[in-house]
Amino acid sequence: MEVLKEKVEEEEAAEREDAAERAERGEKMMRLMEVRKEETTMTQEMLRDLERKLSEIEVSIPEKPSTFTKDTIDISKLPLSYKSNTPKEEHLLQVADNFSRQYSLLCPDRVPLFLHPLNECEVPKFVSTTIRPTLMPYPELYNWDTCAQFVSDFLAMLPLPDPLKPPSYLYSSTTVLKHQKGNCFDFSTLLCSMLIGAGYDAYCVNGYGSQDLCHMDLTREVCPLTVKPKETVQEEEKAPPKKYAIKPPRDLSSRFEQEQEMKRQEEIKAAEEKRWRQEEERLMEVDSAKTDPLHGLRVHSWVLVLSGKREVPESFFIDPFTARSYSTQDDNFLGIESLWNHKNYWINMQDCWNCCKDLIFDLGDPVMWEYLLLGTDKPLLSPAEEEDNGANDDDDVENLGKEDEDKSFDMPNSWVEQIEISPEVFETRCPNGKKVIQYKKAKLEKWAPYLNNNGLVCRLTTYEDLECTKTLEIKEWYQNREDMLELKHINKTTGLNIDYFKPGHPQALRVHSYTSMQPEMDRVMEFYEKARVDGLIKREETPKTMTEYYQGRPDFLSYRHINFGPRVKKLVLNSAESNPRPVVKIIERFFRNPAKPADEDVAERVFLILDERIQLRYHCREDHITASKREFLRRTEVDSKGNKIIMTPDMCISFEVEPMEHTKKLLYQYEAMMKLKNEEKLSRHQAWESELEVLEILKLREEEEEAHVLTTSIYDTKRNEKSKEYREAMERVMHEEHLRQVEAQLDYLAPFLAQLPPGEKLTRWQAVRLKDECLSDFKQRLINKANLIQARFEKETQELQKQQQWYQENQVTLTPEDEDLYLSYCSQAMFRIRILEQRLNRHKELAPLKYLALEEKLYKDPRLVELLKVFV
Amino acid sequence: MHQLCDMEPRVMDDDMLKLAVGEQGPRDEAGQLAKQEGILFKDVLSLQLDFQNILRIDNLWQFENLRKLQLDNNTIEKIEGLEKLTRLVWLDLSFNNIETIEGLDTLVNLEDLSLFNNRIAKIDSLDALVKLQVLSLGNNRIGNLMKIIYLRRFKDLRTLSLAGNPIAAAEDYRMFICAYLPDLVYLDFRRIDDHTKELAEVKHQYSTDELKHQENLMQARLEDEQARREELEEHKAAFVENLNGSFLFDSMYAEDVEGSKLASLPGVAELMETYKDKFVIICLNIFEYGLKQQEKRKAELDTFNERVQEAVQENQAQGRHRTAEFEEKHLLSLSTIRGESELTDIETKIADQREDIAELSNALMTLEMQLVEQLEETINMFERNIVDLVELFIENVQSLMAQCRDLENHHHEKLLEIAINILEKIVKGELDEDLPDDVRALFVDKDTIVNAVGASHDMHLLKIDNREDELVTRVNSWCTHLVDKIHKDEMTRNRRRVKEINQYGDHVQGELDSLECGDILD
Repeated sequence: MEVLKEKVEEEEAAEREDAAERAERGEKMMRLMEVRKEETTMTQEMLRDLERKLSEIEVSIPEKPSTFTKDTIDISKLPLSYKSNTPKEEHLLQVADNFSRQYSLLCPDRVPLFLHPLNECEVPKFVSTTIRPTLMPYPELYNWDTCAQFVSDFLAMLPLPDPLKPPSYLYSSTTVLKHQKGNCFDFSTLLCSMLIGAGYDAYCVNGYGSQDLCHMDLTREVCPLTVKPKETVQEEEKAPPKKYAIKPPRDLSSRFEQEQEMKRQEEIKAAEEKRWRQEEERLMEVDSAKTDPLHGLRVHSWVLVLSGKREVPESFFIDPFTARSYSTQDDNFLGIESLWNHKNYWINMQDCWNCCKDLIFDLGDPVMWEYLLLGTDKPLLSPAEEEDNGANDDDDVENLGKEDEDKSFDMPNSWVEQIEISPEVFETRCPNGKKVIQYKKAKLEKWAPYLNNNGLVCRLTTYEDLECTKTLEIKEWYQNREDMLELKHINKTTGLNIDYFKPGHPQALRVHSYTSMQPEMDRVMEFYEKARVDGLIKREETPKTMTEYYQGRPDFLSYRHINFGPRVKKLVLNSAESNPRPVVKIIERFFRNPAKPADEDVAERVFLILDERIQLRYHCREDHITASKREFLRRTEVDSKGNKIIMTPDMCISFEVEPMEHTKKLLYQYEAMMKLKNEEKLSRHQAWESELEVLEILKLREEEEEAHVLTTSIYDTKRNEKSKEYREAMERVMHEEHLRQVEAQLDYLAPFLAQLPPGEKLTRWQAVRLKDECLSDFKQRLINKANLIQARFEKETQELQKQQQWYQENQVTLTPEDEDLYLSYCSQAMFRIRILEQRLNRHKELAPLKYLALEEKLYKDPRLVELLKVFV
Repeated sequence: MHQLCDMEPRVMDDDMLKLAVGEQGPRDEAGQLAKQEGILFKDVLSLQLDFQNILRIDNLWQFENLRKLQLDNNTIEKIEGLEKLTRLVWLDLSFNNIETIEGLDTLVNLEDLSLFNNRIAKIDSLDALVKLQVLSLGNNRIGNLMKIIYLRRFKDLRTLSLAGNPIAAAEDYRMFICAYLPDLVYLDFRRIDDHTKELAEVKHQYSTDELKHQENLMQARLEDEQARREELEEHKAAFVENLNGSFLFDSMYAEDVEGSKLASLPGVAELMETYKDKFVIICLNIFEYGLKQQEKRKAELDTFNERVQEAVQENQAQGRHRTAEFEEKHLLSLSTIRGESELTDIETKIADQREDIAELSNALMTLEMQLVEQLEETINMFERNIVDLVELFIENVQSLMAQCRDLENHHHEKLLEIAINILEKIVKGELDEDLPDDVRALFVDKDTIVNAVGASHDMHLLKIDNREDELVTRVNSWCTHLVDKIHKDEMTRNRRRVKEINQYGDHVQGELDSLECGDILD
C-alpha cells in the first residue's frame, strides 16, 4: 500500500506539473473552439448556448420509480464483493476522485465524469471494474454481431431516469441478466464484457446520442429484413476481338436518331429523378419538423470496437439497444464524454462540434484522450509511433517491464461475479420469450423456439403507410416444424401465399405458392427434385392448365404442359376424384438424348387429343437451323369397299431435314404411330396421377397446418420426451443399483462391534462371542419374522371365520348388496391368507439358508477370519 | 441332317428369301401394310433360314443391315457370300458340312458365332472378329489342344464350347482351357467355378507365365514401333523428317564411289569428321526450326477453325431462333385458318401467311449471305497469313540449305587441295604411305583426280538440292491443299444451308397449299 500511495503521489505531482501546460493547451483548444464556433452556423451556436444555459439551470427531475429498482433486488444473496470494496478498490476510488477533481478544475465547463456510480448494494464501484470480460460457452456468441443481437434481444430496455445525465446507479451484469432489463449503460456494460471476453478490442462509451437512439426508436429506420440485398451488377468483360474473329455486319441504323432517342430518355429520367428528389425533400421536411429540443444533450451509452483485434478492419460503434453497427461517422452519435474498458478509463479531449466525425480513436495519444491510469497498455498507437517502436523494439521490450513496475497501478479485478447464461435462458432469449420491434412501415415480432405451439419464431409485418394501419405483407418464420415449413409469406394485397420448406417434407415440397387451398386453382409447387423419383422440379397450375418441369430423368423429359377441358357432367354425381377433367392437349418436351441421332430424338411432342392429332418436333442437328417435324392424323376410316384403312400417306405429314428412305414407308409410320398411341395413353395417365398428387399434397398440407407437430432433436435432452423417459428410467435403475450396493456393503457386525471398546484388537474369545451373538441375533430376527407372519395369518383366518359365522347366522335376512359385500370380502381375505401362507412357507424354506449364509459370511469376515480360523 | 441329305439340295434364290422375309415380317395390321408395300431386303434385321437344305450361301448381299442370321441345319459346305453383312452380330451355321473356317473377315461386329456340328479341324481365320463373345465349336474335328492358344486374342470371349471334339477326350482338356483362357466364364455350357480356375492356374502356371511374358514383349515391341511411326509421321507433317541426324549426310556418301575412295587419303578422314559435325548441326537446326514452324502453323489453323466455328454457331443460333419464332406463329395461323369458315377470310389469311413465309426465307437467306461474306473475309485473311508463314519457312530453310552447300564447297576445295598435294607428291615420288590400288588409279594425272573430286562434289550438291526441293514442294502443296479444302468446306456448308432453307420454305409452302386445296375441295 505504501508503495502504491507513493506511486499515486508521484503521479499526482507529475500531473500537477502537467497542469500548467495542460491549462495552456486547454486555452488553446478553447480558442480554437471559439474560432470554430464562429465558423459554424447560427443554429449550432444557438444550440451550444442552449446547452450551456441548460447545464447551468440544473433541473431537478424527481426520480421516477422505474420498475427496476433496488427493492426488487435481493441484496442478501449477493456475494461479499458486491457489498464492500477491497482496499485496492478503495484506493482506485481515491485516485478517481482525485482525477475527477483535477479534471473539473481544468475543464470547468464540462460535465462531471461518470466514474464510480453506486451498484445495487449502494457501494460505489469504478466503472471499469464493473466490466467482467467473459467468453460465453455458446459458439453463436463468438462474433460481435450475434453477441450484440443477443444482448439486445435478451434485455428489456429501460430509459435513463434522467435523459440528460448518466445514471447514478450502475448494476452488475449478473443482476441485469437476472432481471432481464436495464438502461443503456447496463446494456453496453454487458455487451462490452462479452465482446472483450470474445477477444474484441471493445469499449463502453459514455456520450450523447440522438433521440431515436436513446429511446430505441426504430420507427424511422427501415427494417433490415425488408431491405433487399443489392444485386451485384456483373459487368461482362468484353473480350478483345481475337484473331480471325468475324466482323459484325455493318450497322445501318441512323446514329442521329439514336442520339435523339438517347436524349429523350435522359430527359425523362431526369424529370423522374427530380420528382423523386422533391418527394424526398418533402419527407425530410416532415421529419425535420419534429426536431428534438434536447438534441445533443441526451446521454447515451454504446460500445466502441476498435480495429486490430479479431480481424476487425475498421473501428465501429455498436448500439446495444438495437444491435446495429454504425460507422464512427454516423449522425446518430453526437458526442463522446469518456470511454472505458476493463483496464482503463479515457476522457475525450477532442471537440465534438461535428458529432463524432472528426474524432480520432488513438487512445495512446494523451492530447486527444486523457487517461486515468498510467502504464496500463495503450491500446492504439499512432502509426508513426508504431514505426518508431519497430525501429527499437528491443529497447521497448526491456523498458516495458520496468515501466510496468514503477509506474503502473493496475485496475483491480472486477467485483462482478462470472456472467452466466443458462442454456434455457439462452434459448428463450427475449424476456418472456417475446419481443416486438417497430420499424418504419414494419413491425417485427420475435418468439423463442417452442414458445408458440405452431413453431412460429418470427413475424415481419410490413405496412403500406407510416401509421401502420394497412398491412402490405406478412412474413412468418417457423422452426422445428415436422412438416419442415420454414417461411410463410403472405401478400395481403394480392392474396398470394408462399410457403417455403426445408428439405425433408414427405412430398419433397420446396416452395408452395397459392391463393387458395382449393384444387384446380392458380398455384405453383416447387420440389426438391433430388428427393423425388420422377425428378419433378416445379408444377404450375392454373384453372385450365398444369405445367410440370422435370430434370434428370432417364427418358429426358423436361417439360409437360396439360390443357384441361371443362368437366363433363355425368348423370350420376360422383366426387371429383372419380370424374377427372378431360385432357385436351398435352405438350411434352425432352432434353437431347446424346445416344440418339438428332433426327430420331424427339424434342417436343404434342398430343391434340380432341383432334386425334399428334405433332412431333425433333431436335435440331448440329449444323442445321431447321428441325425435322412429323404430324400424325389418326383417323380410322373405312374405304369404299368397306375395308378398314390402316394407314395412308396423308395420315402422316413429315418434314425431314435429310430425307431418308425408310421413314417414307407406311410400315415405319404405322409403327411409330402405334407407339405414340401407347405413349399418349401413358401421358394421360401421368396427367391424371399428377392431379391426384396435387390433391394429396393439399390434403396433407391441410392436415399439417391443423396438427402443426413440432419435432425435437434427439440431442435436445429437455424436450425429447422419449429420451427423457428413457433417461429417467436409467437414472432410477442406477439409483436402485446404488441402494442395493449400499445394502450389500451394510456391516452386519457394526452394532456388535460398537459394544466393544473401540480401537482395540479383538481377542479370540471376543471374536467367538461376537460371532455367536451375531448369529443368535439373526436367528431371533428370523424367528420373529416367522412369528409375525404366523400371527397375521392367524388373525386373518380368525377374521374370516368370524365373518363366515356371521354370514351363516344372518344368511336369510341379508340384502343382495350385503351378500355381494360379504362375497368380495371373502375372496379378498382368502387371497390375503393365501399370500401369507406362501410367505410363511417361503420364509421357512429360506430361513435356514439365510442363517447358513450369514455364518459363512462371518467366517470369511476379514475382521474375524484370523481368530476363527483355528477355531474351525 | 442325314434325312435332309436325301432331299434335293436347294439354291438360295430370290423367291426363297422373299418368302422367308415375308413369313418372318410383321404381323396383323402392320403385316397387311408390309404386304401392300413390300419389304426391302436392306430393312430386314433378322433372318431365319433353317432346315432348307441349302447347299450354298448366296444372294445375301442386299441384307446390309442384317443383325441376326440363322443358317443352321442345312448342307452348307463352305462359308461364303457373307462379306456384305458387316452389321451381323449373331451368326448360326451349326449342323452343316463346313470343313474350314473362312470368309468371316469382314464381320467385325460379330459377337456370337455358332459352328456346332460341322467338320472343322482347325481353329483359325477368326482374327477379324474382335468383339467375339460366344463361340460354339462343339462336335467338330479339332484335334490339337495347343491351337486353343489362338483364342487368347479374343478379349471379350466368355463362352466356349468344344465338347464332342477329339481334344475333349484329353484328360487335361478342361484344365488346359481354363488355364490358357482365364477370362472364360462358361465352357461346354457349364460355368467354370473359381476353384477349377485356381487349380488350372496353378497347374499350368509355368507355361502360361512364359506365354504371357512373350505376349507382353510382343505388345511392347508393337507399341514401340507404333510410337516410332507416329513420331516419323509428325516429322513428316513438319516436312523435316530424317533431318535430326546424319541421315542426309550419310545419303550423300551412300552412292558416292569416288568420295569413299578419296576418304581413305591421308588427312581426309579428319576433314570429313569436322565436315560431318558441322553439317549435322545445320541439319538439326533445320529440323528444330521446322518443328517450331509446324507448331505455329497448327496454332494458326486452330484459332482460325475456332473462330469460324464460333461465327457459324452464332449464326445458326440466330437462324434457329428465327425459325422457332416463325414455327410458332405458323402453327397458330394454320389452326386459325382451319377453324375459319369464311372463304374470303381464309384467302386473306393464306396470303398473309405466304408473305410471312417469304419474309422468313428472306431473313434466313440474308443471315446466310452475311455469314458467307464474313467468312470469306476471314478465310482470305487466314490464307494470306498461312501463305506468309509457309514462305517464311521456305526462305529460312533455303538459307540453311545454302549454308550446307557452302560447307560442301569448302570441303570440296579442301579435298581438292589435299588431292593435288598428294598428286604432286606422287609425281615427285615423295609419297611415304602406300595407297590402295584403286585409289592410286585416280592419281594417274591431274584431270582424273580433279574429275573424281568434282564428281563426288556434284553428287553431294545434287543430294542437298533434292532434299530442299522435296521440302519446298511438299510444303507448298500442303498449303494449297489446305486453302482449297477450307474454300471447298465453306462452299459445301453454304450450299447445304441454302438447300435447307429452300427445303424448309417449300415444306411450309406445301403445307399451306395443301390446306388451300383441302379448303377449296371442301
